[in-house]
Amino acid sequence: MPDIVLDGISRTYGGSVKAVNDLTLTVPDGSFTTLLGPSGCGKTTTLRMIAGLDMPTSGTIYIGDQLAFSLERGRSLPPAKRNLGLVFQSYALWPHLTVAKNITFGLEVQRVDKIETARRLEEVATALQIDNLLSRYTSELSGGQQQRVAIARVLVMRPATLLLDEPLSNLDATLRMDMRVELKRLHKETGATIIYVTHDQLEALTMSTHIALMQSGELQQFAPPLEIYARPANKLAAEFLGNPRINLLDGVIASGCVVCEGLQLTLSPGIAVTEGEKITVGLRAEELRLHPTPSPSWAEAHVTTALPTGSDWYYHIKMNSKTLIVRQNDTPNLQPGDVVYVEAIPDTLKLFDSNGCALIVSSA
Amino acid sequence: MRTIYNRFRIGLTPQRVLSVVFLIALGYLVIFPLFLMAKETFIVHPLERFQIPGSSIGDLTLSHWIRSFVSENSFTFFYRPLLNTLQIAFGLSFLALLIGGTLAWLVVRTDIPMKNIITNAAIIPYIMPSWTLALAWIALFKNERIGGDQGIFTALTGVSTPDWFAYGLFPITITLALHYFPFGFMLIGGALRNIDAQLEESAELLGASRMATLRRIVIPLVLPAIFSTFLLTFSRGLGTFGTPAFLGGPVREFVLSTSLYANLIGGRPGIGYLAALAMIVLGVLVLYMDHKIIGTRRSYVTISGKGARAGLVALGRWRWPIASLLMGSILAVIVVPLGALAIDTFMLRPGLYSWENFTWHYWIGEASLSVGLGTGEPGILRNPELMSALGNTMKLAVVVALITGILGVLVGYAIVRMRGSWVSQALDQLSFLPYLMPSIALGAIFLAMFAVPRWPFPSLHGTFTLLVIACVVSYLPYAVKAGVSAIRQIGPELEEAAIMTGASWWTRMHRVIIPIQKSTYFSGLLLPFISVTRELSLLILLVTPTAQLATTITLRYTDRGWYPYTNGMVLLLVVIVVTCTIMSRRLMGTNIAKGLGG
Repeated sequence: MPDIVLDGISRTYGGSVKAVNDLTLTVPDGSFTTLLGPSGCGKTTTLRMIAGLDMPTSGTIYIGDQLAFSLERGRSLPPAKRNLGLVFQSYALWPHLTVAKNITFGLEVQRVDKIETARRLEEVATALQIDNLLSRYTSELSGGQQQRVAIARVLVMRPATLLLDEPLSNLDATLRMDMRVELKRLHKETGATIIYVTHDQLEALTMSTHIALMQSGELQQFAPPLEIYARPANKLAAEFLGNPRINLLDGVIASGCVVCEGLQLTLSPGIAVTEGEKITVGLRAEELRLHPTPSPSWAEAHVTTALPTGSDWYYHIKMNSKTLIVRQNDTPNLQPGDVVYVEAIPDTLKLFDSNGCALIVSSA
Repeated sequence: MRTIYNRFRIGLTPQRVLSVVFLIALGYLVIFPLFLMAKETFIVHPLERFQIPGSSIGDLTLSHWIRSFVSENSFTFFYRPLLNTLQIAFGLSFLALLIGGTLAWLVVRTDIPMKNIITNAAIIPYIMPSWTLALAWIALFKNERIGGDQGIFTALTGVSTPDWFAYGLFPITITLALHYFPFGFMLIGGALRNIDAQLEESAELLGASRMATLRRIVIPLVLPAIFSTFLLTFSRGLGTFGTPAFLGGPVREFVLSTSLYANLIGGRPGIGYLAALAMIVLGVLVLYMDHKIIGTRRSYVTISGKGARAGLVALGRWRWPIASLLMGSILAVIVVPLGALAIDTFMLRPGLYSWENFTWHYWIGEASLSVGLGTGEPGILRNPELMSALGNTMKLAVVVALITGILGVLVGYAIVRMRGSWVSQALDQLSFLPYLMPSIALGAIFLAMFAVPRWPFPSLHGTFTLLVIACVVSYLPYAVKAGVSAIRQIGPELEEAAIMTGASWWTRMHRVIIPIQKSTYFSGLLLPFISVTRELSLLILLVTPTAQLATTITLRYTDRGWYPYTNGMVLLLVVIVVTCTIMSRRLMGTNIAKGLGG
């Protein structure tokens, strides 16, 4: 199955509110692509436009070789013709039907014959381990079971693409972990393209092959998860991904180094900056190290709060007027008020210009 | 241009098509007739040209307005009926509130026994036709003024009832209050039930006495329900027709609704339509007050905590006496009137209550010129005219219930699925508009509209179709309200999940949307069915002698003084309505109280 292509998609509500603005994105075939962003960023709207439940105000959607939507050409393929399945956030199981009837509803609508229907029902029920629940009503199921039924109802149609709208948000923490593993397995077994909507960066980071990071209706970055984590395209992307939040420090380029709040960092070669340019440095909590004794390129700070988590310590430290968050896994227990010296050891140097765009090493 | 066309074509969803269709239909059936009726008040009608010198039919004239408001006859034509109407509406609302509120408090907040029985019995007076009690009052208390015979009371005691007691404003107010108090009972009862016990417990922990808690916490919390009840019963009081017709007629005491009827029948439609307009204006005023007074406080959000139900007030040794008194009164309001009506149907010569006078004639007698009141009139059960009227009523009730039920779902669907758009708002408000119109005024509107051919309809005067249209429009507010709340409970995803599988709109409706809320829709059918069965005000102007209904024909028999026939018909209707209500509760678990709203 070829890719899903969104070309310049916009969705405006009531003439003025832009839910999605000029979104261009190619979801690779067979990928597990996550639309990630805070609530209200347009990710669910995007998913619904791919599904055909909502219509773009402008732009074109291709699903494989098929033109799924184009206002100019007067085409809007009905949802059922797009060969995709959608799992709703609320599961949207029909309360008046049994689990089996819920799953086979679509096959009945498509007039698939009885033998084939029974065969496919058994197949998905076994795969999702719900074969013992088939005669129950959905109100008699736990959240996790409802989730499986919702997925089974979609899988039974054998869609080439699976759309999942925050499917784990209604589950408790343990179940969520299990389902993540299961979804990943499902992706592998079915080979279907999965488009997954979530605001939970941990879900996005752990499951996806690609993340489309969205904010205010616009695509911020589209890349594999670790790529976004290591090389965010802009300040928004840097801030959204990573827990705890990335530390952003104002700095200036001085004699081939980045200087900010007393910290000095060496510039990687090939970054296009000019002497004296004002920039912002992004430093993740694990890219800072605290020392008891000073050194020339380190900055003095003092600890304000210490938060042990068992395996790590999180410290809030105050460096001049700026509060930073630091993760340490081998320092002796520091107390609030202790003076420390901060060293920056970034894996990749994350520099942003005054517009918030990442300054990247030019390939030349 | 092409893009606009494409957007239109692609965006042609079922809910959009539906809402536009309904918008046009409702505009035609609700807004247009209003203008038409206003126009009628400025026009000279056939019989009116003799009263207005030098005019011819169809001329524009201000004379109806002048005669109604500023002539020496204005008091008779307009002001006196208006004052009577207001007096009755205030009196009945106050009484209904007092009776319903007290009953609600006793049932919800005290340890009174037999709560279930009391609750169920208290709703029956509302299920009966509103004028049942009026007829019963006449059977019990009539005096020589009409037809020369006496009522049961006089027959038993020998005391002749005074006119003010037997007829006019006093009995009208009392009988209507006894019919409408279930509103107060249900609305205030519901509000009392919703109060979180913790609110009262907090007050008591702070040292408030039980009385102080009732006065300063409980009553303020149910205040919105009290206002709702008052305004609801008030607006019903404005539009009611049957009771003032039966009890006010003999002493020529008119209210707006009966004056409207008298003027329309009596060849003064201009003045009649003015009375209808006045009733609609009053209805709108009431709703405006409702918004002003209650507004956003329609119901206090009382977050129900986990706290147990507040301790019930112990009535102590008064427990059983009060319960018996209550049951007794409720039964008295149900059994005594129905009993009185029943007795009347078995008395060959009215007013003579003895075994010798007992007869089956009025039920199963052959037509006879010598026996009984109605000369040449066979008994009810073998009277082709009465039985065909009853048949018409049942047919109308079934047709209207089905159409209203379906429309309620569809309009509700359009409103909910289009939420946020102006179309949805317009539909919502348009479908609510008939609620503001007293039903006899609504009847007058449709009379004005369809007496002549009006595209795309031929003249519908006297047709079954016209009755159906009037009933459907009249009950639409309730049906739509029920439909909206039912559809609102079905999240859009439930339908979208079906869209994803390729299910057509029709499949979605009949396999997903409708089955999920089956019992709600069935309740929605019950209310219009019962309403049609006992409807008089709305239809009295629209029926013609050739196609009568069970309710309207009773009025004609009353006019001739043939009360046994009238009473027998009413009893039949009560039996039908109560049986249907009980059966549907048994079969479907539906609850008439749910459909009433407020």
